[in-house]
Amino acid sequence: MSRGSGGGYDRHITIFSPEGRLFQVEYAFKAVKAAGVTSIGDKLLDPTSVTHLFPITKFLGLLATGTTADARTLVQQARNEAAEFRFKYGYEMPVDVLAKWIADKSQVYTQHAYMRPLGVVSMVLGLDDEFGPRLFKCDPAGHFFGHKATSAGLKEQEAINFLEKKMKNDPSFSYEETVQTAISALQSVLQEDFKATEIEVGVVREGNPVFRVLSTEEIDEHLTAISERD
Amino acid sequence: MGDSQYSFSLTTFSPSGKLVQIEHALTAVGSGQTSLGIKAANGVVIATEKKLPSILVDETSVQKIQILTPNIGVVYSGMGPDSRVLVRKSRKQAEQYQRLYKEPIPVTQLVRETAAVMQEFTQSGGVRPFGVSLLVAGYDDKGPQLYQVDPSGSYFSWKASAMGKNVSNAKAFLEKRYTDDMEIDDAVHTAILTLKEGVLTPAEIEDYLQEVE
Repeated sequence: MSRGSGGGYDRHITIFSPEGRLFQVEYAFKAVKAAGVTSIGDKLLDPTSVTHLFPITKFLGLLATGTTADARTLVQQARNEAAEFRFKYGYEMPVDVLAKWIADKSQVYTQHAYMRPLGVVSMVLGLDDEFGPRLFKCDPAGHFFGHKATSAGLKEQEAINFLEKKMKNDPSFSYEETVQTAISALQSVLQEDFKATEIEVGVVREGNPVFRVLSTEEIDEHLTAISERD
Repeated sequence: MGDSQYSFSLTTFSPSGKLVQIEHALTAVGSGQTSLGIKAANGVVIATEKKLPSILVDETSVQKIQILTPNIGVVYSGMGPDSRVLVRKSRKQAEQYQRLYKEPIPVTQLVRETAAVMQEFTQSGGVRPFGVSLLVAGYDDKGPQLYQVDPSGSYFSWKASAMGKNVSNAKAFLEKRYTDDMEIDDAVHTAILTLKEGVLTPAEIEDYLQEVE
């Protein structure tokens, strides 16, 4: 007869449990949710250093949800990888290539015992030469998909439900509508109106493929537009 | 292969002589989306469910059936990320064979090398077995071929096979409908009908049948 749970190690390193699950990967997902919403209330803390939005190259952005320390490691490696790609192949790393690279790296951590999975869900965005604007989400298990819209973190299911309703009939939003849908999604699931300084927004758009973090003033304009619309 | 900090295998024998990690890997495969393959007289078909977690996912970004060489394709059941590793390694092996012998790799050779990789991960230090079973479909000088490779690294040639959820229903259906002289179009039709046994809604089957007839 087979022994129960592999000597009890299936919860400590990424080996299979009897049900064919990888507990360490599942716990990594929990870490993503547990990271919580950052509060910027502390006077001594420099607010510009608290960020989840990272430019990887001039044209690629990454939103990291989960453990900040893990996110920074990932961003550092991604930046290096994207720069090498540009040097080796002579053109900018496309969004899906970066997403696949991140996902494949995450897969390695799920299969090799010497490194734990990272507690980060990454959303990579950019403007593809062939396919236009693209959004990919990569998780600790090594999955990655292209998305029309998506969410990650503590209230991700509520946000996804909100977005599914908005996107059900495959609408084509303008730039302003897209930004405002994103902000409204956050507002609706966090059930609070926030100030422009309390959220971060990063965009790429056709005609201006550079990845850009919106300034507080721009966010304010969008917030005003949303409240006027409602 | 293997990690230097872990100079011991994580997959070890139980007192009854089983390699439990491999059994658990097979369980992971068994809870994956159904995929199947059918070898016809003049070709091979592989097919799989493509259920995405949300309508927000861009279905054009997902491709479960992958090409290994111009005449060999592969589909998996189980953990998607693990399958990507195997696809990458297999493509490289096929390319190296081509470079050395100046001809395309035979299906059996590629299957053998892929299976060897899967076996390594059941014995090397500090790694776990792959949580996927693969169906490799190819056409070479020996004609159409279909192989199934399991997490243990063992592989068999099949006339028709299924993996993942609902596998017993799917296999029973295939056994009933399989004939040795099937043509490729029949095989494609049968593959879709088999998937529908557990997968498609009656409306989707209706649509397909109307298109075809």
